[in-house]
Amino acid sequence: MTTVINTNSGGQKSWLKWIRDNLFSSISGTIQTFAFAALVVVVLRWILGLAFAEENDWTSVATNMRLMVSYNYPLNQFIRIWVAGGVLLVCAGVSLGAWRFDPALTVKRMARTLYSVAVVTALCALLMPTSAPEVLVGALWLASVVLLAAGFAASAVASKRNNPPVSFGMLLTSVAVGFLVVLWVVPFGDYGVVGGSPFANPGATVARSTKEPWTVILTLVVLGFWVSRGLGAKAVAIVRSGLLAFWLVGPAFLIFVVLRDPAFDWQRVWAVDVPLAAGFAFGGGSLVYLLAKPTRSSLARLVGVALSAFATLNWVAGFFGWYGMLQKVRISILLLAVLVLILPAFAGSQSKRLRIATAWGGVILILHWLITAINTPSTLVISAPPFLGGFTLTLAISYYVVLASFPLGVLLALARTSNLPLFRVMSTAYIEVFRGVPLITILFLFTVMLPLFLPRGMAVSDLAAVFAGYSIFSAAYLAENVRGGLQSVRQGQYEAANALGLTVFQRTLLIVLPQGLRVSIPNLVGQGIATLKETSLIAIIGGFDLLRIANSTIPNQPQFLGQKRPALLFVAMVYFVLAYTMSKSSQRLERRLDAGRM
Amino acid sequence: MSSSKPNDNIGQASRRNMITCRGVKKWFGDFQALKGVDLDVGEQEVVVVLGPSGSGKSTLIRCINRLEVHQEGIIEVDGVELTNDLRNIEKIRSEVGMVFQLFNLFPHLSVLDNITLGPIWVRKKARVEAETTAMELLERVGIPEQAAKFPGQLSGGQQQRVAIARALAMEPKIMLFDEPTSALDPEMIAEVLDVMRDLARRGMTMVIVTHEMGFAREVADRLVFMEAGEIVEVGTTDQFFSAPREERTKKFLSQIL
Repeated sequence: MTTVINTNSGGQKSWLKWIRDNLFSSISGTIQTFAFAALVVVVLRWILGLAFAEENDWTSVATNMRLMVSYNYPLNQFIRIWVAGGVLLVCAGVSLGAWRFDPALTVKRMARTLYSVAVVTALCALLMPTSAPEVLVGALWLASVVLLAAGFAASAVASKRNNPPVSFGMLLTSVAVGFLVVLWVVPFGDYGVVGGSPFANPGATVARSTKEPWTVILTLVVLGFWVSRGLGAKAVAIVRSGLLAFWLVGPAFLIFVVLRDPAFDWQRVWAVDVPLAAGFAFGGGSLVYLLAKPTRSSLARLVGVALSAFATLNWVAGFFGWYGMLQKVRISILLLAVLVLILPAFAGSQSKRLRIATAWGGVILILHWLITAINTPSTLVISAPPFLGGFTLTLAISYYVVLASFPLGVLLALARTSNLPLFRVMSTAYIEVFRGVPLITILFLFTVMLPLFLPRGMAVSDLAAVFAGYSIFSAAYLAENVRGGLQSVRQGQYEAANALGLTVFQRTLLIVLPQGLRVSIPNLVGQGIATLKETSLIAIIGGFDLLRIANSTIPNQPQFLGQKRPALLFVAMVYFVLAYTMSKSSQRLERRLDAGRM
Repeated sequence: MSSSKPNDNIGQASRRNMITCRGVKKWFGDFQALKGVDLDVGEQEVVVVLGPSGSGKSTLIRCINRLEVHQEGIIEVDGVELTNDLRNIEKIRSEVGMVFQLFNLFPHLSVLDNITLGPIWVRKKARVEAETTAMELLERVGIPEQAAKFPGQLSGGQQQRVAIARALAMEPKIMLFDEPTSALDPEMIAEVLDVMRDLARRGMTMVIVTHEMGFAREVADRLVFMEAGEIVEVGTTDQFFSAPREERTKKFLSQIL
């Protein structure tokens, strides 16, 4: 369960022994230890010197926090940002509870973590340049002492009560409470902009408009965790499927409805959009229900081919402008065609058919609503054009690029490993072309050239073009990662699946992909991290993401002229925290999937 | 049971042919693995294929459910000829159970899910029904308590018994065994052979490639001896072991017995 370095009760002696055995066991070991320690000191000193040099004004970061989170989002509508962020965090908390997240933590391990953080804090305080504010140095020493004391207390508990485990719920609760106490008590200073003019209030705690939302959100996160944690098996299954649906479409809902606040033309919505959605949901659903009967497989294939031909015709016609058709109708027909084509693989009992039909209806309703919302103008009055910017933009783009490029990448990988030469050649060409072109070129191409290739009457915003370009680019890399995983699936697995009489589609879906994808998890997460970091290229094509704000918006403000360093360091830290979290959770996922299965 | 079955050779009229091979030829590149094989397997018959390694016995039974594609000749399974028609192949494969030397269980699925996969997705059975059948089969192969475990947590013998249960869950008309005990430790061979013996007793049509001579002698209705891609000799069990006709059969038997 835990690392087995030191299994005895953990007194002073064993601690010294550990140092002797691991750090000073030989002459070369001793040299390495000292060399490493020297390197740490030098690097830390350099970074701290960089961060707290005389000319750095960290109030530039504090004052512009709102800008970096949401760019030009109107102040009087800011509650929307809090609601969106809050919903995301609360759902994250509920998810952790519903999936019984519990890293095997023990008190001893916590004590060790506390000690190491305390040492690093003390080291920072020691190595601070003289230009750093004295209050900060004092606070670091204080924090170090508090952490050390907490570490000792934890150690004492561990040796007294035989190293009990720490429940994640307790940890989450105490971290949330600690965070809130610090927020309400510690005088970080209150900085911000009101009516275009910045204000500074150095001795105060942070603004009430920051403290209060955080208090509400964190309380709900903790409550959500405990409630979902306490649910029974049946309820938790329902909550889990609800959460999966949320993580698929929830962020889009938050962006396009909560943040963007579309001004729906209700007359048109009721006259056109609702009947269309209902028609596709019920009509398509009934068709699917009828064709999903095992005895109607041949009929389903026939209908699928006919529908595919019709769908293709619609797109071609749309491109050449032969006849007009709402885009969502084209998309819905195409989706229905694909579903009917693969239907024979899912055919089954009546309840199963009903489930498939219901799922189709749900997907169609959500899709139609989403397309309508995106195509409706926003009610927001924004001083500068992009309604999304800053950290919100970074997060939204990277989340949806990962979500969209994953299925595309899997399809490409499957095509590249397929037996059909046409698929193989097309997929290989796609992958090689998009891997051979720099991302920035693709982004320029998509924002500048894509509108020229679109059918008449169809416009695409810069944001959508960037999203499409990113997804297509990222899919090419994902495809190669997935292919590596697919190739690790042994021949015997294919043979066993064939011997059972599974179709190629079933074999791929049920046997090959689950095994192949598990092998590619580390690479897939690596690609996800790369995507997150590469969203900073939006800055070059005119988007206002986190990096652009730090690199050019803040240094151009009259009161912070030339102040680049603090904001850039802050942005680097934000990216690092996100990437590190992703990497850690992928390791956890790998361990969890691996347990006893291979 | 085996003694009550008629002792006859190819082309028996008394019972229906489940498998018919006529002049089956198969090449791997330049190497000819099957050089014109003729074989008939009747309903409820147990046929054991013997032969030195590389003689084409595995290739032959892999051709029967088209894991390998033969290039010349005719193979009919339950009256249906194996052609390139994909749906035809899937149909035949679902009627023919196969057990592999290396088990080939699906490592990402639990034992129960391994067994119910085929019935649910190919036979379109309801999950509850499939799981009930799966538990009965696990009972029959003697490991009902392992249902929730993953294949990686089982011993080789247990894995092979799960593989047999997985094949049986499809309610096949024919079972093919490709050296089912060759990858097992000696102490686990018996438990797998027991399950196969029970199957033979219940009247399953079986084609078995094995090196277990004692087992072959006990359960087989007929023995087929292959060498270098050809069937050298086909005979009833008694005749095969006590009075082999061919020189090559005698040599093979003298080496292994």
